[in-house]
Amino acid sequence: MTSTASDPIVSVRKLHKSFDKLEVLKGIDLDVRRGEVVVVLGPSGSGKSTMLRCINFLETFQSGTITVDGRPVGYEAGDHRRPLGEARNAKVREHVGMVFQSYNLFPHRTVIENVMMGPVKVKKVARALAREKGMALLAKVGMDHKADAYPGQLSGGQQQRVAIARSLAMEPSVMLFDEVTSALDPELVGEVLKVMRGLAQEGMTMIVVTHEMGFARQVADRVVFMDGGVIVEEGAPGDIMAAPKTERFGNFLSRNLDQ
Amino acid sequence: MFPVLQSNLPYLLQGAVYTVALSAFVVVFGALLGIVVGTIASAAPAPVRWLINAYVFVFRGVPVLVIMFLGFYSFPAVGLRLDAYTAVAISMVVYIGAFVTEAVRGAIAAVPKGQVEAAMSIGMRRIPMLREIIVPQALRLAVAPVLNISLMAIKQTSYASIVGAWELSFAAREVVERTLAAFEIFLGVMIIYFLICYPLSKAAALAEKRFSYVH
Ligand SMILES: Nc1ncnc2c1ncn2[C@@H]1O[C@H](COP(=O)(O)OP(=O)(O)OP(=O)(O)O)[C@@H](O)[C@H]1O
Ligand SMILES: [Mg+2]
Repeated sequence: MTSTASDPIVSVRKLHKSFDKLEVLKGIDLDVRRGEVVVVLGPSGSGKSTMLRCINFLETFQSGTITVDGRPVGYEAGDHRRPLGEARNAKVREHVGMVFQSYNLFPHRTVIENVMMGPVKVKKVARALAREKGMALLAKVGMDHKADAYPGQLSGGQQQRVAIARSLAMEPSVMLFDEVTSALDPELVGEVLKVMRGLAQEGMTMIVVTHEMGFARQVADRVVFMDGGVIVEEGAPGDIMAAPKTERFGNFLSRNLDQ
Repeated sequence: MFPVLQSNLPYLLQGAVYTVALSAFVVVFGALLGIVVGTIASAAPAPVRWLINAYVFVFRGVPVLVIMFLGFYSFPAVGLRLDAYTAVAISMVVYIGAFVTEAVRGAIAAVPKGQVEAAMSIGMRRIPMLREIIVPQALRLAVAPVLNISLMAIKQTSYASIVGAWELSFAAREVVERTLAAFEIFLGVMIIYFLICYPLSKAAALAEKRFSYVH
């Protein structure tokens, strides 16, 4: 797969997704370029999580296409739309990191074992090398001092930082964050946002669903506002968050002004 | 104290050896069968799952006594000449396996969905995910139900005498018929069964600890 800097890492086209009769995504188009940080805002139920989960193919979708690094997600490229099958879905997911609101660390494994899991079991990296790289990642998220602790012994903020390191260990092309600070006590939010800020500065391609308006304003290259399963408005945060073009986004911003 | 029990204790203990041997065989292989089939049931395509459902459904709904008879009389019918012990042991392994299958399947289903999604999102495929993430967490959840099933199995070995497999309760009945000291003998038998079951409870507690982790 040859790609140039201008090729999108993630490309979503005419994405439609329903749960039974409920249409949740009603034609989403989104391109994310290498190194870009896209923050997705929107009211509860607007389909933000569902869109992220489609990009990682944790959800099937009825029509439209998604590619990551040029690889089709979920279904064959072209008109046939055959499901790709488990092996190829797993292969695509190797290139997509995902961090969940509820951390989802493996509770029966230590912190460093959590981080080594992907490299060792998926990429077949030698344990010693995986451990060395894992420790470096833990140092980066400020968690190397807890390498041998179990997740249950950590605070929420610490667990979330380990979860970020676990995703990074796969050296993904893009990182997806789904409200990763929403479950945290307020005083722990900062330490996680700081790690994400650092990643953004290093040039990691990121799609971030969050309610943290400050983060959107300061870190996003582009803000996307979703409502009712469509993208209502998008643009540079300095532009659209200062002067929303639509009433819906304006109302959303004023409701969330306190943040 | 208890002179009849004392004089017949060696005979009862001889019976206990058979009970222990039969129990150990049934518990070990029944649990192994159930773990394997229960794990397969959680990952296999639909037709295989239906087959496993049928197996669990049938064996859970039939008394072990019937299964023993069925095993005892049907092995010869298919040309297998097995002694009573082997017939009972095989029947019970298949019977206990069905219960353990269901316990393991339930434990696997009880592992939070977020664990599966986290494993998927680092690119893990189904088999390594089962081996590294799901089964280790499920085993811990399965220890308590599998212990109950195992204790049930030990006690059910007392039915083996029905097809002529001599063991502890059979021995006890012989002694009581001869001596008429029912209370004494069965009190002794009770204690022997307890001594057989107790180490298993202990082992399960250890296993639970071994599989446990801080939440
Ligand atoms: N597994 C599911 N089955 C049925 N409906 C679902 C499922 N997951 C999500 N939905 C519905 O899809 C819609 C969009 O949900 P989604 O989680 O994507 O919203 P969201 O924008 O992430 O909201 P929030 O800010 O509350 O996280 C909601 O109406 C939700 O009830
Ligand atoms: Mg959501």
